Amino acid sequence: MEQHQGMTVPPRDPDHVMRLSRLGSFHQSRLSFMRILLRRMESEAWRFERPVFDIDAAGTGRAVYTAHGPDHSYSLVAFANDLPADQRSDRVIATAWDATFTLFDGVPTDADLDRLEQNVPKQEAGRITESELSLSRANRSVRLWDHVVERLAAGRQPDRATVEEVGYLMRTTAVYGSGKFGAADREMTAGRPEFQPPFQIEMLSVYLTRAFVMDLVEHMALMRAPDTATALDPDLRRRFGIGNSTGLGMAPFLVTHPALLNNWIGAREEALSRIRSLPSASTTEAASLRSFARRAAAHVAEWHSDHPAQIAKLDALGADMRALLAHLDRADLCTDHPWNRLWLWGETVLSLEGQELLASLLLEPYPHLVDGLATCMAADEAATWRIDGAMSVARLRDLVERIYGWALATDWSEPAAQARVWYVSEEKLEPRLGERADEPLEPYEQPLCPGRDAARMHADLAATRETTVAGFLMRHPEHRHVLRRAQIAARLPYAEIRDNTIDASLLPIDMLRMKLSFFGASHFDPRSDRWVRINMYQHAPFPHELGLRSGDDWAYPFLSGAAS
Amino acid sequence: MTWSLNEIETLSRKAARGAGLSWGLAEEAGKAARWLAAAGLPGPQVLADLLTRNDGRDYETLCPHEEHEGTWIARGGTLCPLISGAALSDHAERLARGDALTLGRTASPMLLLPYLDAAAHLSGRDITVSWDGVTVTCGPAARPDPGAETALGVAIAECVTIQSATPSDTATPRPAQSRADIPRETAARLDAFARRTYAPETPESRLSGAGAGLTDND
Repeated sequence: MEQHQGMTVPPRDPDHVMRLSRLGSFHQSRLSFMRILLRRMESEAWRFERPVFDIDAAGTGRAVYTAHGPDHSYSLVAFANDLPADQRSDRVIATAWDATFTLFDGVPTDADLDRLEQNVPKQEAGRITESELSLSRANRSVRLWDHVVERLAAGRQPDRATVEEVGYLMRTTAVYGSGKFGAADREMTAGRPEFQPPFQIEMLSVYLTRAFVMDLVEHMALMRAPDTATALDPDLRRRFGIGNSTGLGMAPFLVTHPALLNNWIGAREEALSRIRSLPSASTTEAASLRSFARRAAAHVAEWHSDHPAQIAKLDALGADMRALLAHLDRADLCTDHPWNRLWLWGETVLSLEGQELLASLLLEPYPHLVDGLATCMAADEAATWRIDGAMSVARLRDLVERIYGWALATDWSEPAAQARVWYVSEEKLEPRLGERADEPLEPYEQPLCPGRDAARMHADLAATRETTVAGFLMRHPEHRHVLRRAQIAARLPYAEIRDNTIDASLLPIDMLRMKLSFFGASHFDPRSDRWVRINMYQHAPFPHELGLRSGDDWAYPFLSGAAS
Repeated sequence: MTWSLNEIETLSRKAARGAGLSWGLAEEAGKAARWLAAAGLPGPQVLADLLTRNDGRDYETLCPHEEHEGTWIARGGTLCPLISGAALSDHAERLARGDALTLGRTASPMLLLPYLDAAAHLSGRDITVSWDGVTVTCGPAARPDPGAETALGVAIAECVTIQSATPSDTATPRPAQSRADIPRETAARLDAFARRTYAPETPESRLSGAGAGLTDND
């Protein structure tokens, strides 16, 4: 239809997109997993109820939040704790939390709850079963929590500026899914339409966790002062998201799931390409883009970080938004491939943060061109995983040169190029990053540096007398891992991060940011080069509001005075 | 207590790596143990036995050499099924052409089945494998019969023959299991191998490695 006239803009080149600095500038979009979940629950009119809420005045007890979909029900089982301050740590190595959670497949019986109460509060040290789909925990943001309880108990609303400064009352840390600690494997539920897109279980768990946390804070105020306590104003209530603190554990996932990575990026790039290819836009679509841009600017203004690298990026992004709004005021957004012209303007004017925010914004006016791509974001990893041993060595060399050109141009004898080592620590079995020169870590190195490994394989490919991959691998089993990756990336252009994941200048937060942006997170706030805090579901309708409010239109702050 | 298949795959992959296999081979070993467990066979146990047996042995002594056309043997005397299995899957096209392959003395031949199943899928033909009186047809419809576990579970086969066949629908499809049990002793042995892949913690790395702060009281 729209695309029959004239040019088609192809998806962006993976050599351009798959750089860490760009991936580390991604923002949430219509294709984020939170938004996919809420769109589905709204369109299918899911029902929600709270069959159990048994929390005492000290804040300990349990609660159950059940979501009823068309064919299945899912229950968040929450255990609240009265945690002493000296035990409150958001490190994955903590052993106690303010609240712990599991997503139960169905509606739990009392016996299920008793069993879970023996295990879920222990998290990694406990054990769950195939009836459970996720395992997670959260700690209070103490400062904001105390403020909100005090104000509500006194019959007053919390201070809006204080709410916005933190943005959430509890921060989750790890949200474990697929088979972890005994939970059901993804394969057991991936056939259900609601769990076909990636991470829907985790996103549902976090969505219900937010509802629980808000109920809990109001409950605590009521228990403290039954005569005076009040509930949160609904509009202010929606300004609370749910926090998350994410460390290095998440980064390797992107490298160990190349087909999945490809499908996430590929869906977003396809969406961008479709919109850039549109020969024209209606005045309604143009107005929609302008409105979303203003809301995005408001979001940027509310986004704070103390991390020097993020402060610099946010300064640039603030300038980008001013330039974008000024440009949108005078630009023709309706004729002559308006979105491609806008995009090309952005590439010359905006920082990476601004360019990638523009990419997300361009998807907003076009649900009919974008939202269907959500079904392309899961991956049949088995389909591309087996090595094609019949491939010729010459063909493989050609592929390596095409996919890993950047790595073949890198001087790997430079210490900086291999400064880091990914390893797993004995103590907590968590991924870590160390300094190759300073610590005896090399024997424990994880295969999370495809570029260097591809360069090593390329050298052996040049020297081998073997003519097929099968023959080459018989002599070089050490290349089997990266050879598989090369064959996957040959079929799936965005499967590989085309950058050095062990360089001295590596910022692991770039990898975390990319993944979290696909979840739908916002307010990225790095606390170091390898640890980031975020906000999730801020401004989203609560379960009891789904369908009564403005659907998918929540991911940017609502402008004052505008319908929300 | 049952294990999720992801747990079985992860533990098996780490154990295989800890026992000295390359990362690529270890990944396939993890998938092999998972495949067998899903088929109701004692994949993790057989893997633990094999890794124990081959602990400390060089790749060169365990990998296949084509002694003469169609016969693979190990220089060290006994083929490792994880290495030979991967090579068989790499040679799926050769099997599909109808070439028969004979493997000399092979340890834990049950571990070949997941790789041959993959080769059958890659080549679109069934693959028949036999040793010591047991024959299994690998292909889209086939699942090994756990009733034949004893014959499938031999520690050593003197000779394994592999031949592709026209796909048949006579094999009985067996439902895949979505969970499996692992004997405590097996899990402990696999875990001991897996632990070799973990770096000992130092005070510096404990603080800097994960990069997070120590308190969450804000």
